[in-house]
Amino acid sequence: MNSDYSTDSSATDETTFAALQATLDRARALSAQLQQQGGARDSARLQGLETQLEAAERDREELTERLVEAEHQQGRLMNLYVATYQLHATLDPSEVQATIAEIAVDLLGAERFVLLLRVDGEEPLEVALSKGLEEDNTSLYDGDQYTSGDPLVDAALEDGILRLGPDDFSEVIAAVPLRVQDAIVGALVVLKLFDHKAILRAEDRDLLDLLAAHAASALFAARVYSNTDRKLRTLESLVQLVRGT
Amino acid sequence: MQPRKILVVDDSKLIHKMFEVLLRQYTLIHAHDGLEALQCLGTDASIDLILLDINMPRMSGLEFLQQVKSDATLESIPVVIISTEGKEEDTLRGLEAGASAYIKKPFGNQELLNVIQSL
Repeated sequence: MNSDYSTDSSATDETTFAALQATLDRARALSAQLQQQGGARDSARLQGLETQLEAAERDREELTERLVEAEHQQGRLMNLYVATYQLHATLDPSEVQATIAEIAVDLLGAERFVLLLRVDGEEPLEVALSKGLEEDNTSLYDGDQYTSGDPLVDAALEDGILRLGPDDFSEVIAAVPLRVQDAIVGALVVLKLFDHKAILRAEDRDLLDLLAAHAASALFAARVYSNTDRKLRTLESLVQLVRGT
Repeated sequence: MQPRKILVVDDSKLIHKMFEVLLRQYTLIHAHDGLEALQCLGTDASIDLILLDINMPRMSGLEFLQQVKSDATLESIPVVIISTEGKEEDTLRGLEAGASAYIKKPFGNQELLNVIQSL
């Protein structure tokens, strides 16, 4: 009995073992299949995330570039605003001249420059303002007058077009014609920049254009006001004198 | 700590106007030479930072800086020199006199803001 039982039991064990083995094999196969599917899903998800990350990096770089450009533009506009504001902030001719000098020095970086003005349409031009001329070897601006001699300056005074140098015939960095309406009434001549300011940049060109358009009108408005004010004071003195007698 | 009140010492009205526009988030005190700046420091003890030009009438920036750095009540105020004097020796002279930074004119707005924010 025991033997039969033992035989039957052994057969049953083998069957059970085989069934378990088959189940295990199936489980392994399923596990492998699941891992394969899961890995593929993870891989696809990872690739998607990498693509998103690359796009985000590109956006970040573009935004950084735009921010730098915006800050640059803001700086340019601020300089133009401040220069214009200061040029028209006073009706004192000496203060307008001082502002032109400050724009040349503090914003353009001019170490040596001269402001030429045609007074009452007459020649030669008056050297209204200068800085660093003691180191100028050309002698063109000696005696507080400029007749002619520098091709870039002469050309700018002739046709009213801004000239940038230097070239083979002139050491001038910039000759900025100054206009009042259609008349060319003078020029700002930049002869040398500071050593730490290597060249005039694009934003400097904006400032030069601004000076060409605004400096002379501000200066002449101040001079007209000053002359009118002086005449008014003279007349008032005369009236008081007449009343007194 | 961000500086709140800045003393601007420069004889250029253009520079004062520029700082008014650029440094709107700060309270600015204006002086046009070293002597006037010393008076401002004498009457206002809450100045956090000084922006200083070198070439000015009456009292130059370097003379002013020496006076500030030799005064125990003022020496801790950071000073930024902003000048057209751009040679290496000028920068060294300013820093040796006690300036925290040296900026050459013409300067970039962001450059100035970065220096102020770093102090």
